[in-house]
Amino acid sequence: MASVKLTGVKKIYDNKVTAVHDFNLDIKDKEFVVFVGPSGCGKSTTLRMVAGLEDISEGTVEIDGEVVNDLQPKDRDIAMVFQNYALYPHMTVYDNIAFSLRLKKMPEDEIYEKVTNAAEILGITDYLTRKPRALSGGQRQRVAIGRAMVRNSKVFLMDEPLSNLDAKLRNQMRAEIILLRQKLNTTFIYVTHDQTEAMTLGDRIVIMQDGYIEQVGTPTEVFEMPRNIFVAEFIGAPKMNMIPTKLTRSGDNYTVSPFGARLPVDGEKRELLLEGDVGSREIILGVRPEHIVLADSASESSIPCTLEVNEMMGSELHLHVYTEDGTRLIVRVPTLNLSSAQRSGLVAGARLNITFSGKVMHFFDAESKLNLCCGE
Amino acid sequence: MSENTVMAPKKHMGLKTSRRISNTAIYVLLAVISVVWLIPFICILLQSFRVENTMPVGYVIPKRWGIDNYLRLFQTDFPKWYLNTFIIALVSSVLQTFIVLCMSYALSRFRFKGRKLLMRLMLILGMFPGMLTMIILYRVLADLGMTQANAVPGLILVYVASSGMLYYVSKGFFDTIPKSLDEAARVDGATRFQVLKKIILPLSKPIVIYTVLTAFMSPWGDFVFAQYVSMGASAGKNVAVGMYGWLNKDQIANNYTLFCAGGVLVAIPVTVLFLCLQKYYVEGVTGGAVKG
Amino acid sequence: MVKYTDLEYLRMKKGKRFGLKLLSFLCSIPRKTAAFFLMLLTGIKQAALKIAGEARDICMGFVTGDWKTKVSYLVMGFGCFARGQILRGVLFLLFEVVFIGYMVLFGGYYLGMMPSLGKQGPTTEKVASGLRGTATVTIYHDNSFRILLYSVLTIFFIIAFIYTWRVNVKQNLTAERILKSGKKLRSGKEDLRSLVDDQFHKTLLALPMTGILVFTVLPIIFMILVAFTNYCGANNGYTNNLFHWVGLDNFNTMLNWTNGSSSYAATFGEVLAWTLIWAFFATFTNYFLGMMVAMAINKKGIHFKKGWRTVLVMTVAIPQFISLLYVSKMFASNGIVNGLLMDLGIIDMDHLLPFWTDPTWARITVIIINIWIGIPYLMLITTGILMNIPADLYESARIDGASGWQQYSKITLPYMLFVTGPYLLTSFTGNMNNFNVIYLLTGGAPTNNLSTAPGTVGYTDLLITWLFKITQGAEANYYLASVVGILVFLVVAIISLVVYNLLPSIKNEEDFQ
Repeated sequence: MASVKLTGVKKIYDNKVTAVHDFNLDIKDKEFVVFVGPSGCGKSTTLRMVAGLEDISEGTVEIDGEVVNDLQPKDRDIAMVFQNYALYPHMTVYDNIAFSLRLKKMPEDEIYEKVTNAAEILGITDYLTRKPRALSGGQRQRVAIGRAMVRNSKVFLMDEPLSNLDAKLRNQMRAEIILLRQKLNTTFIYVTHDQTEAMTLGDRIVIMQDGYIEQVGTPTEVFEMPRNIFVAEFIGAPKMNMIPTKLTRSGDNYTVSPFGARLPVDGEKRELLLEGDVGSREIILGVRPEHIVLADSASESSIPCTLEVNEMMGSELHLHVYTEDGTRLIVRVPTLNLSSAQRSGLVAGARLNITFSGKVMHFFDAESKLNLCCGE
Repeated sequence: MSENTVMAPKKHMGLKTSRRISNTAIYVLLAVISVVWLIPFICILLQSFRVENTMPVGYVIPKRWGIDNYLRLFQTDFPKWYLNTFIIALVSSVLQTFIVLCMSYALSRFRFKGRKLLMRLMLILGMFPGMLTMIILYRVLADLGMTQANAVPGLILVYVASSGMLYYVSKGFFDTIPKSLDEAARVDGATRFQVLKKIILPLSKPIVIYTVLTAFMSPWGDFVFAQYVSMGASAGKNVAVGMYGWLNKDQIANNYTLFCAGGVLVAIPVTVLFLCLQKYYVEGVTGGAVKG
Repeated sequence: MVKYTDLEYLRMKKGKRFGLKLLSFLCSIPRKTAAFFLMLLTGIKQAALKIAGEARDICMGFVTGDWKTKVSYLVMGFGCFARGQILRGVLFLLFEVVFIGYMVLFGGYYLGMMPSLGKQGPTTEKVASGLRGTATVTIYHDNSFRILLYSVLTIFFIIAFIYTWRVNVKQNLTAERILKSGKKLRSGKEDLRSLVDDQFHKTLLALPMTGILVFTVLPIIFMILVAFTNYCGANNGYTNNLFHWVGLDNFNTMLNWTNGSSSYAATFGEVLAWTLIWAFFATFTNYFLGMMVAMAINKKGIHFKKGWRTVLVMTVAIPQFISLLYVSKMFASNGIVNGLLMDLGIIDMDHLLPFWTDPTWARITVIIINIWIGIPYLMLITTGILMNIPADLYESARIDGASGWQQYSKITLPYMLFVTGPYLLTSFTGNMNNFNVIYLLTGGAPTNNLSTAPGTVGYTDLLITWLFKITQGAEANYYLASVVGILVFLVVAIISLVVYNLLPSIKNEEDFQ
C-alpha cells in the first residue's frame, strides 16, 4: 500500500521525440487513478516509467516516498497487467501465477495456498493445469490479473487490460475489476483509451494528449467542467456538439446566439462567467447530445434543422441532424419521452426544432480553447 | 497418383477436367524432379558397391557387387578423418550455439549505445571475402601449434570464434517473442539472466535446434579452410579434405569407388539427423529469409 | 523536371510512367551521391566535435575534480580505491599495469619497427655441430609478418587503453558527483549483480565480440595492410622473412590497362564480368524455379506434399562436397553422362560433350548444376512465405476475374519480391562469393591461357576462387590476393548500398502488412 508521486517526469526518446512533457501527479495511497487519452498520448509510456520498463529522461518517480528512478522493475515492488496479457506460453496457469513467488524463493506450500486462493477469487481453479493457449481471452485476462494479485505489491499497474476483449466481456471484466479493487484495497494505476472505462473505474482521471496532461479530476469534475475543448470532446459519448458562435454580455446577463437563435445563460454557469468577469467574445459553444431537446414549435430560442440519420439504440435515439448552414449536430433522445406518433415522424428529411437550456452549456474561448467557466 | 485422376467424380466436367489435366501435369513434373534430384545419390550408392574396378566408368549398375570398398575404407585414414570431423562438428555445434545465442539475445533485447553501429559494422565485415583472412589465421594457428596434424582444435577455435557473426537468424526469432513477456517477468522479480533462462530459452527450442543443426552440419562440408589448416597432414584432415584428395588426377583411378563408399558413410548420419530435425530447419531458414 | 500531381500520374500510360520513374531515378543519382557525401562529412564533423567536447570535459574534470579524481588521471582506478569501489579499482589498475608492461616489453619494439617492417634479412652462420664438424644454419632475424601482426595488435591495445582510460576518468567524475549529492555508490557486489541484470548484455557480448575482434577484424585489417606491401609466399621463410611497404603499387599493377588484353586489369575485368553474370543467373534461376516447385507442391489437390518435399530436402542435408564432387565427375568426359549418351547412341567416342572443357559449356553447366543444388533450399524458403499470403487476396482476385497467370503476376510475385527483397540481395552477394560450387565442380577450369595474371585463371573462376588460387603454394601472391579481396569488397559494398536503397521493403515497410 503506497503513494506514488511523479515530479516533472519527462520522456525523450533517442530520436529527440518527446513522448511525455513535465508530468506532475500525486497519487494517494489506495487511490484508483486512470490515465486516459488517444493512442500516442504518452499514457502507456508514463505507466511504463513508473514500472521501470522505460528510462526516465528527467524528473523523479517516487513510490512510498522513495525515489525509484534507478531501481530495476523487480526491485520496485509493483505488479503489472499487460495489454496482451504476456502469459508465459510454456508454463501452466499455476506456474504462471506462481512464477514471481518462486523467484522470491517462497516455500511451495505457501505458494500453493496463495495461487489456489487467487484462482478461487478469479474463478479459474478448473484451469490451473492448462497452458495459456488453451484458454479463452477472458480466462487469460483473469490469469494475468491473478499473476499480479498474488504478489501483494505496493502498486498495481494495468496497461489497457481490457482492450483485447470483445465488448460484452469487457463490460463484465470491468465490473470484476471494481470488485477486485475492493478486495485488494491497494493503489491502482490504470491506462486505457476508452473513456467509459476511465469514468466507471477511476477515483481520479488523468486525461492526456500529445504527452501533456490536459486535466486531472474526478469523473464528475471532468464531465461537468472540462477544462478545454479536447477534454470536453474526449469524455462522453456520443461526443459533445461544438458550435462556433458569439457570447454577448449585457450588464450581468449573458446570451449566446447559435444559428440565429437567442439563448440566455442562467444558473451556475452565469455566476461562473460573472465570477471570471468574462466579456463579450467569440466562443465555441459546447452542448452534450443528451442535453439537447426537441422543441414542440419554432421559437426565438429554437434552432431549425433537418434530420439526416436516425439511429435506434434501444433505450434512446441518436438523431444526426444538420442546421441551415450545414453544421452537423447529434441529439440524444430517450425513447421513453417520445410518443409513437412522434417516433414515426423521425425519418430522414424530417424538419425539427431543437433547443437546450442555459444551464448545460459549456463556453470555450475560440482562440485558447479553454473553458471560460474554469476561471483561468 | 493416376488413381486420383481416375477416381474424380464426373460432375461439372469443364472445371474438373481442366483441374485434372493441370494436376496430372504437376504430378509428372514432380516425379521427374524427384528422379533427377535423387539420381546422383542413387548413383553414388550403387557405385560404392561396385567391385569389378575402382575407376570412374560410364555405366551405373555395378557388374559385380560387394562391400570391398567399405572394407578398404578402414585400411585408409578415413576413420581418422571421420573421427576428426565428428569431434569438430560436436564441439563446435555446442560452443557455436552458445555464442550465437548470447549474441542474438543481447542484440534483440537490449537497447544499448552503439547497438545499431555494431550491427552495421558486422554487416560490412561480412562483405570482406573471408578467404583472405585464412592466410593470417593459418600463421597464427601455426604459432599456437594448432595446424597440420593438430588441426582439429585449431579448426574448432576458428569456427567458434567468428560465429558471433551468424546471429542474424536467431535474432530474428528472438524478435518475434513478444517483449512484454520479458517485461512481465522483470516486473515479477526476474533478473535479465533469469528472463533468458526461464522464459526465453524454453520458448526458443526451434531456433536452438536450428543453430545446433547448422553448426553440426557445416564442418562436414567445410573444405577450403580445413584444407588450409591441415596443410597436407593426413592426421589433421576432415572428411572433405581427405576425400577430395582421392579424386586427384593420379588417385582417381584407384579411389573413385572408395570415394563413393566414404560419401555414403558421411551422408547417412547427417541426412538422418537432418530429416529428424527437418521441421526446425525449415522454420529457421524461412524466418531468416523473411527477416532478410 | 515537370512536376505531376498524383491524379495526373494515375492517368498516364504504363510506358510513360516507367519512363518518368527512370528519369526521376537518374536525376536523383547526383543528388543522392551528394547527400551521401554530405552525410559522411557531417558525420565526421559531428564525431570530431564530440571528441573535442569529450576532451574538454576531461580537461575540465581535471581542473575541477578533487585530488582523488586528479590522481586517477595518472593512476587508473585510484579514485575507485579511495571511494571504496575496490573491484573496479583493481580491474582498472590491473589493466594499466598490463598495458604498460606490454608496451615496454613488446609493443614499443613492434610499433617502432612498423614503418620499415624489419631491416635485417637472413644470414647464414656456421655453428658447431656434432663432435668435429660445423653446419651452416640460416638465422632469419627480423620477421615482417610478426612485426606487422603485432604492431596492428599493439594499435588495438592502445585504442583499448585510451577508451578504458576515458571510462576511468568519467567514472571518477560521476562518482565524485554522486557522492557530493549525498547518494551512495554501487558496491563491488552490486556491480557483479548488475552484470546478470541491467548490464547483462555486456556479459553476453563479451565473449562473442572478443572472438570477432581477434579472428575477424584483426585479420581483415591485417590483410588490407598487406595490399600495400609486397608480401608473398616467398616471405614465409622460404627465402627470407622480410617484406616492406610499397604504397599503391599493387593497385597500379592490378588496375593498369596499358598492356591491353594481357594486363591484369583485363583478367580482372573478365573474371568480374563472369562473377556478376554467374551471380545473376544463380540467384534468379534458383529463385523462380524454386518458387515454381514450391507452388506446384502447394497446389490444392496435390497429394503426398510431405513426400515430395522430403525428397528435395534430403538433398540439402548431404554435404555439398560429396554431391558436387560426384556430379562434377558425372559430367566429366569419361563420366556417366557421356557414357549414357554413348550407350544410347546419341553421341560417339569422338564427339563427347565438352562439359568441362569448353568455356561456354562449362559456364552453362555450372549454372544448371547450381539449380540442382539450390532449388530444394529455395523451395523451403518460398513455401513458408507462399503460405503466408492471405488466401482472401486470391479469393477476391478470382471474384474480380483474374486468371491463374494474372493471380501469379499481380499477387504472388509482387508479394514474394517484396518480402524476399533483402534475401535476394544477400543471396546475390552470397553467390558472388560462392566458392564451394565453383571450386568443387570445376576448380575454375577450363584454364584461360590468354591471361598472364597469377593463379592460372580459368573461364569459370569467380573472383573468390581466383583469389584463393593466388594464395596457394610457394609462389603465393598475397599482396595481389589482398588487392583482389579489397576490390571484391568494394563491388559487394556498392551493389549492396545501391540495391538496399532501392528496395521497396526497406522504403515502405508497411505495404504488405
